[in-house]
Amino acid sequence: MQKIPLMLATAGMVLARDVFRNDSPTGMPICGKETVLTDALIARLDHLDVQSIYVDGHPLNQDGERKLEDLLRDLDHRFEKVRQDPLTSKLYDIYADYLKRSMGE
Amino acid sequence: MPITLSVPWENELDDKRSELKKIIMDTRTLPTLPGVINKLNTLAEDARASVQEMAKIVSSDQVLSARILRLANSPSYGFYRVSTISNAMILLGVNVVKSLALSSSIFEIMEKNSVGLWEHSMGVGVAANMIARKLALPECEEIATAGLLHDIGKVIISLKCSDAEKRILSIVRNQEKYMIEAELEVIDTDHAEVGGWLAKSWFLPDKLSEPIAFHHDVTRSVNHRIKTAVVHIADVLVKASGFGDSGDSYVPPIQKAAWDMLKLNDELLADLVDELEDKLVEVRNFSIEMQG
Repeated sequence: MQKIPLMLATAGMVLARDVFRNDSPTGMPICGKETVLTDALIARLDHLDVQSIYVDGHPLNQDGERKLEDLLRDLDHRFEKVRQDPLTSKLYDIYADYLKRSMGE
Repeated sequence: MPITLSVPWENELDDKRSELKKIIMDTRTLPTLPGVINKLNTLAEDARASVQEMAKIVSSDQVLSARILRLANSPSYGFYRVSTISNAMILLGVNVVKSLALSSSIFEIMEKNSVGLWEHSMGVGVAANMIARKLALPECEEIATAGLLHDIGKVIISLKCSDAEKRILSIVRNQEKYMIEAELEVIDTDHAEVGGWLAKSWFLPDKLSEPIAFHHDVTRSVNHRIKTAVVHIADVLVKASGFGDSGDSYVPPIQKAAWDMLKLNDELLADLVDELEDKLVEVRNFSIEMQG
């Protein structure tokens, strides 16, 4: 599952969560999960000022064409100086786990 | 040989650092906060001031008014068709309008610089706000503003000493150092201290200037340690996420003092990361909107 800005949604993507109106995030959903997006539907959501949606898989690589291994390598690089630090290494583990979850599902 | 009497800190006043302080803080070329913000601050402290009076001040600045109305009408705030500044102030609250006014002027200053630093700063503002709310701290808006402003010193260094900035960035790249280490090497001070000087010259309150000046060492904060600790953690989280570009390639260590002060734990940290990643998508949209 990936959260993407509506402006980057394309026909064929599948909603992973219900979509709500922006001004009533707890009200009735305006589009149910598992719906396959079409151009008309995207235009309609845009008209209703929906900003972002959750879709199945990980269709967008916002950092270019990058795979999980690349993201993990970048993470390793960013944490290079603090892997031995007891507190900051916890943060490393949490991020590594986060990346695996968000790219894997 | 004449004997010169000097105490160590007097020597220090003659050194490179104070030279730089003079150059950096040359008020003739220092970006100023729009007068609107100072007037708003004064009025906000006056219990007798009405929203209409404040709205009148904001309305006197066309660019600012346009920006506030655009933001008040943007779906992320959830209000629609707000057409007057006084309505925006009633709906959003005076504090939000004040932060919007401040962040919009900071954006003006940063815009000419780099989008990467602006995104990093926005990310830290959002993260600081999120942490403050999660921990049920008072003055979340102020903490968010402090987060937004925490790296303002980098903007000043880049504006005032662009040659030094080039050397700093090359040290960061080639010698695998933290930016703050490279800054100390080249200009004998760092962006946090410079930001603190600027905050003072803008007469920003302690609750903003301390997090700016001490976000790399929260133990030096005297009156606002909690707020400073929140900004420190927010900065580390956004760097860990790789969002925006602070200029640093490496995540700095989480200070134990900050961790203890905020009573963080593993579970809380994991929740914060999940929530932050969700929010950063919106920040990127917002950044695109501001640039558009």
